[in-house]
Amino acid sequence: MAGGVWVFAEHRDGSLRKVTLEAMSAGKGLAGLLGEELAAVLMGEGVAPLADTLAHHGAQKVFLAQDSSLAKYTTNAYATVLSQLVLQNQPSILLFGATAQGRDLAPRVAMRLEAPLASDCTALSLDEKGRLVATRPIYAGKVIATVLAEGSSQMATLRPNMVPISEPDSLRKAEVVKVSAGPSPEGIRTRILEVVQEVAGAVDLAEADIIVSGGRGIKGPENFAIIRELASVLRAAVGASRAAVDAGWIPHQHQVGQTGKVVSPKLYIACGISGAIQHLAGMRSSKCIVAINKDPEAPIFKVADYGIVGDFFQVVPLLTEEFKKLLVEG
Amino acid sequence: MKIIVCLKQVPDTAATIKVKPDGSGVETEGITYVINPYDEFALEEALRIKERLGEGEVTVITLGPPKAKEALRTALAMGADKGVHLSDPAFEGGDSYATAKALARAIQGLPYDLILCGKQAVDDDAAQVGPAMAELLGLPQACVITKLEIDANRKKAVVHRQIEGASEIMEVSLPAVFTAQKGLNEPRYPSLKGIMGAKKKEIAEHNPSSLGLSPEEVGLAGSKVKILKLSPPPSRATGKILEGEPREQASQLVKLLREEAKII
Amino acid sequence: MCRPWANRDVRPYNVGAVNTNSLVLLVLLVLAVGAFGYNALRLFRLLRLGKREDRFDRIGERLKSLLIYVLGQKRVLEDPYSGVLHLFIFWGFIVFSLGTIEILGKGLYKGFSLPLLGSGQPHQYLAFLQDVFALLVIAGVLMATYRRLVLRPERLGGHFSDAAVILVLIFGLMVTHLGASGLNILLNRNPSASWTPVSRVLARFFAGLDLANGTEPFLHSLFWWSHILLLLGFLVYIPFSKHLHIITAAFNVFFRSLRPQGALAPMGLEATETFGVARIWEFTWKQLLDLYACTECGRCQDQCPAYLTGKPLSPKKLILDLQGHLLSQGPALMKRGRSPGNGNGHALVGEVILEDELWACTTCGACQAACPVFIEHIDKAVDMRRNLVLMESRFPYEVQQVFKNLENNFNPWALGWDSRADWAKGLGVKLLSENGEAEILYWVGCAGSFDERNRKVSRAMVNVLQAGDVDFAILGTEEKCTGDAARRIGNEYLFQILVRENIETLDKYRVRKVLTTCPHCYNTLKNEYPQFGGNFEVVHSTEFIADLIDVGRLKFRKDQELVVTYHDSCYLGRHNGIYKAPRRVLRAIPGTKVVELPHSREKGFCCGAGGGRMWMEEKIGKKINLERTEEVLAAKVSAVGTACPFCLTMLEDGIKSKEAGESLKALDLVELVAQAI
Repeated sequence: MAGGVWVFAEHRDGSLRKVTLEAMSAGKGLAGLLGEELAAVLMGEGVAPLADTLAHHGAQKVFLAQDSSLAKYTTNAYATVLSQLVLQNQPSILLFGATAQGRDLAPRVAMRLEAPLASDCTALSLDEKGRLVATRPIYAGKVIATVLAEGSSQMATLRPNMVPISEPDSLRKAEVVKVSAGPSPEGIRTRILEVVQEVAGAVDLAEADIIVSGGRGIKGPENFAIIRELASVLRAAVGASRAAVDAGWIPHQHQVGQTGKVVSPKLYIACGISGAIQHLAGMRSSKCIVAINKDPEAPIFKVADYGIVGDFFQVVPLLTEEFKKLLVEG
Repeated sequence: MKIIVCLKQVPDTAATIKVKPDGSGVETEGITYVINPYDEFALEEALRIKERLGEGEVTVITLGPPKAKEALRTALAMGADKGVHLSDPAFEGGDSYATAKALARAIQGLPYDLILCGKQAVDDDAAQVGPAMAELLGLPQACVITKLEIDANRKKAVVHRQIEGASEIMEVSLPAVFTAQKGLNEPRYPSLKGIMGAKKKEIAEHNPSSLGLSPEEVGLAGSKVKILKLSPPPSRATGKILEGEPREQASQLVKLLREEAKII
Repeated sequence: MCRPWANRDVRPYNVGAVNTNSLVLLVLLVLAVGAFGYNALRLFRLLRLGKREDRFDRIGERLKSLLIYVLGQKRVLEDPYSGVLHLFIFWGFIVFSLGTIEILGKGLYKGFSLPLLGSGQPHQYLAFLQDVFALLVIAGVLMATYRRLVLRPERLGGHFSDAAVILVLIFGLMVTHLGASGLNILLNRNPSASWTPVSRVLARFFAGLDLANGTEPFLHSLFWWSHILLLLGFLVYIPFSKHLHIITAAFNVFFRSLRPQGALAPMGLEATETFGVARIWEFTWKQLLDLYACTECGRCQDQCPAYLTGKPLSPKKLILDLQGHLLSQGPALMKRGRSPGNGNGHALVGEVILEDELWACTTCGACQAACPVFIEHIDKAVDMRRNLVLMESRFPYEVQQVFKNLENNFNPWALGWDSRADWAKGLGVKLLSENGEAEILYWVGCAGSFDERNRKVSRAMVNVLQAGDVDFAILGTEEKCTGDAARRIGNEYLFQILVRENIETLDKYRVRKVLTTCPHCYNTLKNEYPQFGGNFEVVHSTEFIADLIDVGRLKFRKDQELVVTYHDSCYLGRHNGIYKAPRRVLRAIPGTKVVELPHSREKGFCCGAGGGRMWMEEKIGKKINLERTEEVLAAKVSAVGTACPFCLTMLEDGIKSKEAGESLKALDLVELVAQAI
């Protein structure tokens, strides 16, 4: 039977990515509206057990492609298998997580199949004709676009943390369809040599998604330990204001600002930084800014999304504790 | 080594973007346009490869309105050798699919060993054109790279690709498409000498027919994803000051970051 | 035996000469003048390596400069000790030059007489002057020696042997003159004896020695010839010595820049292949003349904030390094001929001048204000920066952001240009675009528009203007950075783009009078915009407020109880000579006690932010703003008044670094006024 809503099931270190479950949840809604089945595509080596989890989260069918050539994600091998599968089964909708992998794979598959693809969506729905309508932020979130995907096998990548994961039902089973997969016929043109895990605290400022910064208000070089602890829980990079660097508390490569690095992470946590313009110029375009400072008049609060007027030494360790609860234990 | 760099002219990231009242587009009045920052990394990398190898040619290519020629001129001033401009009203309003198709067609007519572009344009934030072009050209790709080493003799490249919480080191056969992430390099500032020199460099013009495409295949007509409406984002109360005891403040903040800002 | 005086001549002032000796003298003179001429010509031809520049305008003003600064020694005297000793030696030199011509003339031809002096009385005046000045010069030489050997001010540094040679030569010249003159009296051959008291004392001294017969004429001859030989030796030595300045200084003062102090040299961007100065011959001839004029006094170095805080820059060293390079490389360059392009002489930056040296300059102008011979340091530094920026795109990493931000958002901070007027929301400030006209345009500047701290100053300015019932408006989002920093960093291209756009906007609204709180905007608008056809009356907030106070349009109510000092902004003070207005404003605030800082007015100490340094990291040496903050803290005041947004930022930062925020506040004068009305 043609049709269906599919989710590309991304996994890492033996478990499904959280965004995959979010996509399952979104896909379930769409499948319900369309009156079609929800299926997942699971690729890799030794990943069969994950099919159950997908079933628990609503997959009625799991396409399982297992091969040593799929053990590590490579664009070409994955795109080849997935495109053939889509071509053969003609799903109505195919969802990916807007992750490094999803954003690498989806455009390739979409182009191969000449299918529409909406990137980095925050919400998905259908129009009256059952076509995929996606909401996606553009201009770095300054504008929200509502877009329509036209054509068969409409694809979208879903931004993480946007859709709540629906309650799993551990009794649910899915039909597992084994898909044959072998080495890509074109030969191997890319090879993964190594995956280097980021060491907490050593994350490069320029590339970091989250930055925790300290300024004059943290009082001394030893207190960067408090900053580093929070950063390590958040897998964040450690930044600093010019004052902290000038005082010799931390090397210059950590300096954020006009004369240091200009950054725009998703989250910027400024601790004990008053917010001199030269600092603001370097971090103002961050998506979300949190300011923790004793002085309620500090200019940093003018640009902060969330502000805590309080003592760095009290607030930040508590914050680390809370994040730890959420991210490590929860 | 022949290197092609794809770039796009986009509004400056500091610009205030206002949606037109009818939601059909954004106001362009008074907007400063720049080279998409990620494309600048791509261009800088191309220039550095050329300088390192001591030979080569960097061709910059863009699809955009006549004004986009400024972006090409800037790129030529920075040191690119040639420009290609896909400029025609028919190209307007295209999605990533239509854009990648036109660009790939133009690139097919050029010699190349390497194609570089930004990981995404900061206006539509789609991050599709790079891999989509790679597909059309039948090339391998490596997206979101923060480091690139070229082995010209073996026709291989080793790249560092940013993935969640790690970086993937990958060997790629050339020719290939790479999309650049911040951190790859620090783009140079064009000298006045470069700006003067750029005036004499050649920019080739293309329209759909010179690329062998029909007007229906490009621009809005050739697109698969169409914008229904644009709207301003829901206004978030800025500068929310969290009250209470430190412990309450901390837990409140974590909750807001997760549920309201949806970051954690 | 030589007896030049044997022929008893009774001319009024006479050392005497005979034919054979005239011949020897003639030969020596020809040799010495020839050697001097040869070397002077060599130096002159090196000057002509430089590019053309017109410094022959406004001759009257130039002559006046000569009177004041050469003959009057005005700048030299600003340092009393060295000033006085120099005054003695300098005027001694003038007096002796006249006498020397006569001595030499007579040596060659006994009937010689200085044409203007004629015969009789005037010669006696000259004799008197020489006699007295010989003593004064000796005093000067002794003072100088004491200074070199005992006081040893750091700024003198280096070239001690040159100084020693010169002091010995001058000393020798005076001693031999007096010796010869004294013996002349003894030998009864000096009819001006009554006019030469010092020589008379010496004559008595020689008489007291009771010398053997014939010894006196011999001694006289010895002194006379020694004097002549020293003199001719001096002439030969001058072109190789810092003492060259006795010739070049006067020319340098005459040809000095008559541009407003704060204006950089204009620069064309069309019809040229290269920009700025990469090689020595790309300077103008006047810039090269500067190199010859340097007296190595080091007054510039003594005032240089970069040098004093441990940066590799010393304005003196900069000039001497360029001078050394010109002298060593110039001859080869002359042979090869010069043309744009590589391989024609060494690149200055990196080889002669270090990059760190070049970028350390804050363009504060302290060196130029201190230089007794009007050397123009800033233009040279900026010309070399221009080359690095415009030709090679070479500059400190941090600067790139500034350039890009200025290009895209017309302010240095990457803040959206459309938020430029946000600070004025709700204040009832008119926009020119809405109202079309106002008596005064308030030019807010980037800092006043975007920086939270300086926005307070802008709001205070609005309060003051409204209180003074002034009809004013702002440009709002149409205002763009004036380009001050871009120009001083060397990006003339970007600067000129901003200038053109701003002039267009100002002309569109027929703006006549511009008021600004920022000395950098003030200086650029007032002194540099005219280079591009933008002519506006520009007033600084301190001048404007001082006038408002004078005409009674501002009434102070609150008593301030404030001990306050004023930090001179370089661009307001040294570059534009505005010292009085800010002090008048401070004193007008009731209850304010004003304390002067040790470094103030012409010797004001830079905050460290000028010349684009605001946007660069200060990685070498002590931070200039800390140095200045410490000086302010030592003054034990409760507030330091500023009149510049950069100074305010730098001092406030310094106060924070010193954790002295409780006891010392940095406030713009406008804020102090606004608080008090």
